[in-house]
Amino acid sequence: MYGGGNVFEATKFDDLQTEDPAKLAEFEARIARGEKIEPTDWMPQLYRKQLIRMIEQHAHSEIIGALPEGTWITRAPGFRRKMAQMAKVQDEVGHAQLLYSAAETLGKSREQMLTDLINGKSKYSNVFNYPAFTWADSNIISWLIDAGAIVNQMANAKGSYGPYSRALERICAEEAFHLKYGHDAVVHLATGTPKQREMVQAALNRWWPPIMTFFGPSDKMSTHTETLMRWKVKMASNDDCRQQFLDMYVPKIWELGLTVPDPNLKKNAETGQWEYTEPDWDEFKRVINGDGPCNAERLAVRRTAEERGAWVRHALLNPKAKYVRPLA
Amino acid sequence: MSLKSLDPRVTRLHLPDGEVPPMEEKPALDQFETYEAFHQKKESTPHAYAGPVHAPNEDVAFLFAKEQYSRRFPCVSLWVVRTENIQVTPYANDGENVYDILRVEAPATQSEQPEPYEIFHLKKRGKAHTHVGRVVATSYQEALQEAKNQFGDKAPIVNVWVVKSKDVLQSAEDDKDMWATTPDKKYREAIAYKVMDKITKYKEENKNTPA
Repeated sequence: MYGGGNVFEATKFDDLQTEDPAKLAEFEARIARGEKIEPTDWMPQLYRKQLIRMIEQHAHSEIIGALPEGTWITRAPGFRRKMAQMAKVQDEVGHAQLLYSAAETLGKSREQMLTDLINGKSKYSNVFNYPAFTWADSNIISWLIDAGAIVNQMANAKGSYGPYSRALERICAEEAFHLKYGHDAVVHLATGTPKQREMVQAALNRWWPPIMTFFGPSDKMSTHTETLMRWKVKMASNDDCRQQFLDMYVPKIWELGLTVPDPNLKKNAETGQWEYTEPDWDEFKRVINGDGPCNAERLAVRRTAEERGAWVRHALLNPKAKYVRPLA
Repeated sequence: MSLKSLDPRVTRLHLPDGEVPPMEEKPALDQFETYEAFHQKKESTPHAYAGPVHAPNEDVAFLFAKEQYSRRFPCVSLWVVRTENIQVTPYANDGENVYDILRVEAPATQSEQPEPYEIFHLKKRGKAHTHVGRVVATSYQEALQEAKNQFGDKAPIVNVWVVKSKDVLQSAEDDKDMWATTPDKKYREAIAYKVMDKITKYKEENKNTPA
């Protein structure tokens, strides 16, 4: 659910001159006809590399995104909320497994992806480098971060790669409850005692800046981006996703009498576009490169799980087994 | 120095703070081989491809598949197959029949004992393979030939998976109670959250107070 803010960088595979022109034409014609690409089809290097990167980052975001909410399970108020919070966290970890498998069909093993995550080589959604101070922070994540992720995932589910679409279809079906659960939890606090309202407003104030960066900086419209859009790897621009999110959720925040901590936020009646204070992209870059409040903790927790669980995996391992990529 | 977290349980893990050496590369099979899972949502529908799982053996694969693919939605039966035991045909274009472009030849000599094979078809790229039936054959090739004879007219068929029935771990009739409590867990359904009622009530009560 947490696939936000993809920054598509140019790679050395940008040069399509090296690809077989006949195969490339056939590949592009298939996508233009609205057909999906399956793992054994021929595909350009650029397509393979960008999809691995994108699906892998999405998978990491699910597994790391489960941490800030996971820490609130034991402290969730009441048994029903504990059950729901647990079910949601379990869903997110399951989504990571679905996504790792989808990326594996493109040729990168799950082991390599997990090692790259722990060693800081591959990224996850930057919002999870911020802490969830209170129960209300956890609720804001469940509602608004999931909402942002759904905007993204609904778009990506229409992409051209078969295994990713299949995984996203299941993920979107499971997510329907997350959004409602998060909204319900926020509404409960916002319509509760003054203390509860104060708590949820404080959490919203803390999370608004990271939420505004969730979809990533404005895309540089290069031939690279244009190619990825034609291949249905990138389905919508970062700004379009951000606008769609604001359109759907700002009114829902306002109707609860909560305020959004951005004095410049308003919808321009003429253009139909939201205007807002430009997020702090320098901070975004600094945090995504490791210097955020929780980067070290998130990776340390993941690494510890990997290392302390190693003996169980080794004890279960079948020495005769050989690795085979998932089929679809 | 160990890492201090907002979550006391994380602090109690005594995670090292500061620079740590990069984690070593893991062997390719650190998290096991892959299996493919198929689920049946209700008695009247065929088994359909759900997705892969990583597991050290068939039994654990079944357990993981049950958690991964039948946790949230109705299910009456689950199958798992080791990925390497699935024979895959090439993929045809959407709308085509893959059997027409395959050169399916039955082997000349029948050295093996006939045994049952399960056949799965993919109707459209991006969708899930579904089980169309079982054939009896002495090899994967012959099974594919048989499948073409018996099910080849169900076009479009863009891809076929062939699996020996003995390689499929199937849930038993007695296992069905695994899924008996799925519908009881209402807190996992969007419909259980009556958000609009609360919002309407709140607006009603506060319509005279400025926000």
